Amino acid sequence: MALLDIRNLTLEIEGTSGWMKALDKINLTIEEGEIRALVGESGSGKSLIVQAIAGTIPENWVITADRLTWKGQDLLSMSANERRKVMREEIAVVFQNPVLSLDPSATLGEQLIESIPRSLVDGKWFWQRAAQRKEIAIKLLHKVGIRDHDSYLNSYPNQIADDISQKFLIACALVSSPKILIADDPTRGMEISTKTQILKLFTKLNQTRQLSILFVSHDLLAISSMADSMTVLYCGQTVESGKMSQLRKRPLHPYTKALLDSAPSFRKDLPPRTPLATLEGSMPTLQHLPIGCRLGPRCPRAQKECVKVPENRRVQEHSYSCHFPLHRDKK
Amino acid sequence: MILRTLIRNTNLLISTLLILSLFSFVLAFLFPGDPLENLSGLTNLSEQEYERVFLAYGFDQSYVTQFWIYLNKLFEGDWGLSFASGIPLWQELSLALPASIELSIYSLFVSLMIGIPLGFWAGFKYHKPADYSLLAISVVSYSLPIFWLALILILIFSLSLGWLPLSGRVSLLFDIPEVSGFMFVDIFNSEIDNKNAAYISALKHLIMPTLSLTIITAAIIFRLTRRSFIDVMSSQYIKTAYTRGLSHTQVILRHGVRNTLLPILPLFAMQSAVLLTNAMIVEFVYSWPGVGNWLIQAISQRDYPAIRAGMLAVSSLVIVVTIMTDVSAKLINPALVGENHAEN
Repeated sequence: MALLDIRNLTLEIEGTSGWMKALDKINLTIEEGEIRALVGESGSGKSLIVQAIAGTIPENWVITADRLTWKGQDLLSMSANERRKVMREEIAVVFQNPVLSLDPSATLGEQLIESIPRSLVDGKWFWQRAAQRKEIAIKLLHKVGIRDHDSYLNSYPNQIADDISQKFLIACALVSSPKILIADDPTRGMEISTKTQILKLFTKLNQTRQLSILFVSHDLLAISSMADSMTVLYCGQTVESGKMSQLRKRPLHPYTKALLDSAPSFRKDLPPRTPLATLEGSMPTLQHLPIGCRLGPRCPRAQKECVKVPENRRVQEHSYSCHFPLHRDKK
Repeated sequence: MILRTLIRNTNLLISTLLILSLFSFVLAFLFPGDPLENLSGLTNLSEQEYERVFLAYGFDQSYVTQFWIYLNKLFEGDWGLSFASGIPLWQELSLALPASIELSIYSLFVSLMIGIPLGFWAGFKYHKPADYSLLAISVVSYSLPIFWLALILILIFSLSLGWLPLSGRVSLLFDIPEVSGFMFVDIFNSEIDNKNAAYISALKHLIMPTLSLTIITAAIIFRLTRRSFIDVMSSQYIKTAYTRGLSHTQVILRHGVRNTLLPILPLFAMQSAVLLTNAMIVEFVYSWPGVGNWLIQAISQRDYPAIRAGMLAVSSLVIVVTIMTDVSAKLINPALVGENHAEN
């Protein structure tokens, strides 16, 4: 059974012009031990999906889904306490923007230590437990590649660099050996060496601990080196998902193809000074969503039928939503 | 960083106080009458005496020298005499000011005790009936004119119900020597027989003035706390704290409360100016022997030296309190302590 199974997740936000579907029938599954990439442009709703899974959607937004289950348990109908238990023990989330995710008035040590649940320490007295907690915290920091633990444990978030905060949040997330790590753009704004460190860390965790990872990013190069499978998002709709290798070799959806073509590192045969391929136009705003397939106005293959939302079609492990998929035997 | 904050604020304090004293010096020239009389408070002098005072205040020299002499006299505690009573102003102020400070401190304390918990509670119940009704009450009490409120309280509790005394700090039956100016300290140090009765009497006199100040100040503090709490609870780090698996109580106690109060502490300091102004009006209504009452009497009697000294004393007090709270709020805020990582 899939660890996380999302079927037809829809998120509606009330705006000045009525209710807008920020997410429209999203499908996403994550198997055990798999690294799944969630790819899309900025504003395509990647972070909203993360928030929906983490349960941090504001109360006045309406969230509906045919399925939003964790190991078969429905996350949406769960009580707050049960959900917190699941979040604490099995699902770990690293949000975008590490600096805002840390309490500015508490030291990093306090924040890391308080995330360590009582069940991980067995000391009889509180000072024994405090010592154990500190030990665990230091080990975690070493694991994510922070060597100088003493100075960082006592600093406040405003005193440290962004990539350290990011590693720190990953350490917080790993405290209770979760089953899945949901990382929302964890390498944003990082220089290449730090990025490599984080990606290596993820791969290692995936291999040694069977940790599933939902890697949300728009950094195709980083993703393709580590992810097993990929889900492509456009404007709040899932356009295509499948095995990474399959998707790269033979994308079926025009948007996936455009996305892959726009990354020059995937095209080794590209002669110098070739203009890079892009789709005309830009992503529509929430106030001006086209009906039917949201790629419609920009799609090179669009026809009359595209004003209807395409069915989600499935070929083995590869699924796509398009009326006129790129022909399978012709690249 | 800490040192720099201290130095910068000390500079601010000193220069503001200097400007205030300059202003009070200029006032003596702007008021009607003889500037020398306005400064010294001495009237109806013989020619010889006038000559002596004239030289003592440096009136034969430049304005700068005069101001310098005036500053020296301020530091020596020679603030001139009152026209009305002939008593040195410094002596009068050192009795009137503590009475005002006492009243302000009590009502600030009570306001914090009421305003902060209610603010948190309304924040919890954001956009629910409890929140709305508390908000409505706070708007009403915030917009009540304080002199009217004080009179209404007198009408109800003294005149109709007869529960509380009408005016003053303590019943006239007790003869308590004014040493420190703070009533409870003075009672404690006095040698009267029935101290307990005196404490109760002082407390009864305190209730109405404190209450009328509290109603307004608590409303402001309530609104500040509520807004700040709501902002903090919707921030990213609170959401993150929840996803780290902390319970509701843990999140609020460890991250909510501290972050709510840190940014509004300096705002409480700003309230001290408003509080003191309100206290001065309340003092007048309840004949509380504080600086407000004293100053209003000075104005009605055209006691120019007293007006000058009162203005200087009150504004210096406000400045000192504001800057000190501001500094301490900065010093305890970890986000402002230590070397900052460069912004990106």
